[in-house]
Amino acid sequence: MIRKLYPSDTQALLSKPETGMGYQIIEARITGRSYKEKFCVYNAQLVIDLDSNFKGYKDLAFKKTFSSVLNESTLLNIETSSIQVISKSRFMNLSENLVPKIKLFSATEKTNKKRSSGTLGAKDSPTRYAKENEVFVRLSAYEDDKRIDFINKKLKDGSYTTTEQDYKNCYSTNDDPVDRYALPNDEKIKWAFYIKPKTSDLLQEGVVQPDFGHEGGGIEAFFENGTSNNTYTEKREYGK
Amino acid sequence: MANNLELKKQHIDYLSKMPENGMGYQLVDITLKDGKELKKRIVFNSTYLQLKDNEKIMKSDIKTIKIVEN
Repeated sequence: MIRKLYPSDTQALLSKPETGMGYQIIEARITGRSYKEKFCVYNAQLVIDLDSNFKGYKDLAFKKTFSSVLNESTLLNIETSSIQVISKSRFMNLSENLVPKIKLFSATEKTNKKRSSGTLGAKDSPTRYAKENEVFVRLSAYEDDKRIDFINKKLKDGSYTTTEQDYKNCYSTNDDPVDRYALPNDEKIKWAFYIKPKTSDLLQEGVVQPDFGHEGGGIEAFFENGTSNNTYTEKREYGK
Repeated sequence: MANNLELKKQHIDYLSKMPENGMGYQLVDITLKDGKELKKRIVFNSTYLQLKDNEKIMKSDIKTIKIVEN
């Protein structure tokens, strides 16, 4: 079954180590029962029973956005004090067939969507200067995006964008930007803000890592100090 | 829109000046006036706090907001 944890149990799990990137395998007792059962918990929220139906439910869960699955799921009532996270080595010994993975795409699909597979996110990548004529795009659900300084026409400090090329790859392959950029959004991306930084502007470029139940694989660029004045060039509707 | 709460202007102004955790969102720790703490919550566009299902919080309930370092 697919269920979700009560917020208090989510908080309890957030203080415990992960079994693997983005998930925890736990043993816990459902309230009223005398025995513990095993569950796979994604993002400390979404729970799938670790039984013979696990793979089918996992595939079902990750066909949709993480937030929509959460919204549709019923709460799992477990005793918080009974929660125990199982280490990866112990879990592998217990059930080799049930290794959970947050993978939505096969390698072929990933190639078709032109997603990248690096392991360094922007903030873990070296800082460099923007190149001449390099263009970045900030995707947003909001027309009044708060990271754009519309007065000075620049990107504010500490803001993320993607490259123009990766944005083109995203919409030309009909990819889902929420999954590609591993965003926690419920709302649809509607706007694209174009930034053409000066060669004196610094940035870090990397590959979006899996998060919020999404696979990532898009390119992200982080501007710790924002960009210079007059570098925000235009706003367009997504895909236009 | 999902169960999102629009923050007070002073909090929006504060978050607008703080770094993002990803494109379009920030992770924050919130302290309510009754002392309750909300950890690692998501704020979209430095404006909308994502609430959990059936969670009832008013913007006037919020005492402090702090960015979670990433």
